[in-house]
Amino acid sequence: MDPQTDSLPLKGIRVVDFTWVVAGPVATRILADQGAEVIKIERKVPGFMGARRTGLQGNLNRDKLSVAINMSEPTGIELARRLVAKGDIVIDNFSARVMRQWGMDYPSLRALKPDIICISMSGLGHTGPRKDYVSYGPTLQALSGYTMMMTDVDGIPAGYGYSYADMAGGYTGALAALIAMWHRRRTGEGQFVDLSQFEAVCSVLGPGLLDVCANGRAYQPPKYRSQEAPAAPHGVFRCKADAGSADRWIAISARSQLQWRKLTVAMGSPGWASDPKYQTLYLRMKNAAELDARLSEWTAGLEAEELMFSLQEAGVPAGVVSDGEYLCARDQQLKSRGYWSTVKIPDGAQTQVDGIPFKMSATPASVRTCAPEIGESADYVLGEILGLSAAEQEALISCGAIWP
Amino acid sequence: MNQGGALSGLRVLDLSDHRGALCGRLLADMGADVIKVESPLGDPSRRIGPFLDDLPHRDRSLFFWFYNLNKRSLALDVSRPRGGALLLELAKSSDVLIDSSKPGTIDKLGLGWEVLHEANPALILCSLSPFGQTGPYRDFDADDTVLAALGGMLYVNGFAGKPPVRPLGLQSYHSGAYYGAIAIMSALFARDRAGVGQWIDLSLQAATASAVEHVSSSYFADRMIEPRRGTLHWSRYFRVGRARDGHIMHCTLGDWTTLIEWVSGDGKAQDLAGSEWKDFTYRRDHAEHLFDVLDEWIKDYDCDDLLARAQALRLPYATVRAPESLMEDEQLAARGFFAEVEHPELGRSIRYPGAPYLFGGTPWRIYRRPPLLGEHTGEILHDDLGKPLDELAALAAEGII
Repeated sequence: MDPQTDSLPLKGIRVVDFTWVVAGPVATRILADQGAEVIKIERKVPGFMGARRTGLQGNLNRDKLSVAINMSEPTGIELARRLVAKGDIVIDNFSARVMRQWGMDYPSLRALKPDIICISMSGLGHTGPRKDYVSYGPTLQALSGYTMMMTDVDGIPAGYGYSYADMAGGYTGALAALIAMWHRRRTGEGQFVDLSQFEAVCSVLGPGLLDVCANGRAYQPPKYRSQEAPAAPHGVFRCKADAGSADRWIAISARSQLQWRKLTVAMGSPGWASDPKYQTLYLRMKNAAELDARLSEWTAGLEAEELMFSLQEAGVPAGVVSDGEYLCARDQQLKSRGYWSTVKIPDGAQTQVDGIPFKMSATPASVRTCAPEIGESADYVLGEILGLSAAEQEALISCGAIWP
Repeated sequence: MNQGGALSGLRVLDLSDHRGALCGRLLADMGADVIKVESPLGDPSRRIGPFLDDLPHRDRSLFFWFYNLNKRSLALDVSRPRGGALLLELAKSSDVLIDSSKPGTIDKLGLGWEVLHEANPALILCSLSPFGQTGPYRDFDADDTVLAALGGMLYVNGFAGKPPVRPLGLQSYHSGAYYGAIAIMSALFARDRAGVGQWIDLSLQAATASAVEHVSSSYFADRMIEPRRGTLHWSRYFRVGRARDGHIMHCTLGDWTTLIEWVSGDGKAQDLAGSEWKDFTYRRDHAEHLFDVLDEWIKDYDCDDLLARAQALRLPYATVRAPESLMEDEQLAARGFFAEVEHPELGRSIRYPGAPYLFGGTPWRIYRRPPLLGEHTGEILHDDLGKPLDELAALAAEGII
């Protein structure tokens, strides 16, 4: 019994987690945070994927368990199958052939445990002419249009500086697991979910893709044109250097006439703002380039954070363009809500990781344990779950089925 | 209704605006009965374009359609006491209520958490708001761009010295919607155990921060502020390159020997054939030079040829494509990604971008096209709630429904 986890929503759900890199671990992180018992099955390769307790891998793998099983050995596969038989959900993010080669595809695992849920988060899906494409988040962003449409001011296709596709694939995978589990709770039926990370990231393109479908319109890079209700000014504006950085920007968005009036008052009602060419939203959008240049002249002399507070006080949507330090160490809101979580590392140190973006009133979750070193949970997983004696575990080590 | 969906039997009252609308849709797509509760004047997002054939009309907004597929529409003015009372009655037979109004708004309407919880202790309230229900920014206003800024999703895109590049699509809202649906599912599992619902307080800013890959971990591990690196991915294993007829995405995480044999065979390897490049950390640390050489190599290739050859060698290359190319994408077509939705009132069917996942047992489905304003008011209040028709007529006359 563990009072810290007993009330968590997913307590009692066991996830056998074959995922690696980013997208899959994002999915299982979400499940682990809500109380599922997530057991990573991993290869033990020293230094592979970088530090484990801290950094990206520390952030992705907190609240999980790890056992180092060698899936190249038949005895290793047999061990993994025994674990699946005691599990509820199996998740992988390999291409379709890997789990099949191991005899761990859905039909095989269903024969082992009839109500098993298998979520396979491959790059392009298990079917179709390109199912064997090798991909990573950035290549999926290129194929789906993000890279080309996220142009900078000079028209260069910059795209995301990171793998948003992995994050989107991750939250999609977690939701799929929960929905499949819900169905099983009600009917006793497991199932296979074929999640193509490509399709996951295509499906969050949003209404713009429906515009292509319905109106046949080609995309244009939106740059800072509002992608929701029209707004002007709408964009990012350079601010004065402050103690933290010389590269400070503020995002400002004025949708309504009232917000525009409040903005002009906040600017001290400069003469140019009463020019007829800025008097309606339509005209401000039409003359956005000039308007943005005017606004930039004003913001250039101001500190971003102070400006955010004064504009928000005046009722104008505005926010600092947070860099890593501002986001993690200065942002008062995330701090006040306890978003960043501190986890203890066994050597007495500690690190901070992303927290959980929602708070639940009755079953509040929190990040509990740091990421395990590879193979760290062998005693619990092999000893307690599978009931293997110390001698049996030693034998598995000698035959190369597990790493010590 | 909604027979066979994984979430069939769940009823969701969706009071959210466009910031939260995807959350309810994710549940509706899997079979939940999601009732969009909108003002008799229409949800404001019905006025957001683009519009079908560019004809602005509340029942032709593609923006509204995308986020409200598979939902029913109840036109109800919850700001008036009788409207609020009706909503409370509906809440008694519902599982979830989604709200994205400013913190405090539903309390002022007499529909706050305590009231809802007393009316139906099993109800789950999911509040999606820009910054959450607590904290110093609680009452700040934000659109998706401001959230991308404060969530750390903006700063790291684009070139140093130039303005940060904004995400394509409303990805702060989308991240929030997915986390909202995840939170709702978690609360449903908790309800199975404890019998009672709970209040979910979701911050879109935090959801945005959760959907950024690397910024926080670089800061917490090394106190490093991740910069904008132009077209170079933060990991330094990917960079946009220019081929003869367009852009491609380089990737140096595939088998290095295979890649360098190909490049050498073309006589373009320069110094990359040296053994130091076999170490992937060396490739990372000298990425800009590496990609400069590879850019020289690909400049006479056509994108599609390069992609086909790279993938045949299992090198994770990709072409940089426009989103409209998805319409012709063989892989999406083979897997049925696009779904035809009948719009009988228009006498035509329209293709919609479809499922983010293929469920073997309980597939993602089109149950109904996006609703016309108030299309299901009668069936919800009369058939489901049992209100007599004369009462509905009176409510309609007063503009409450």
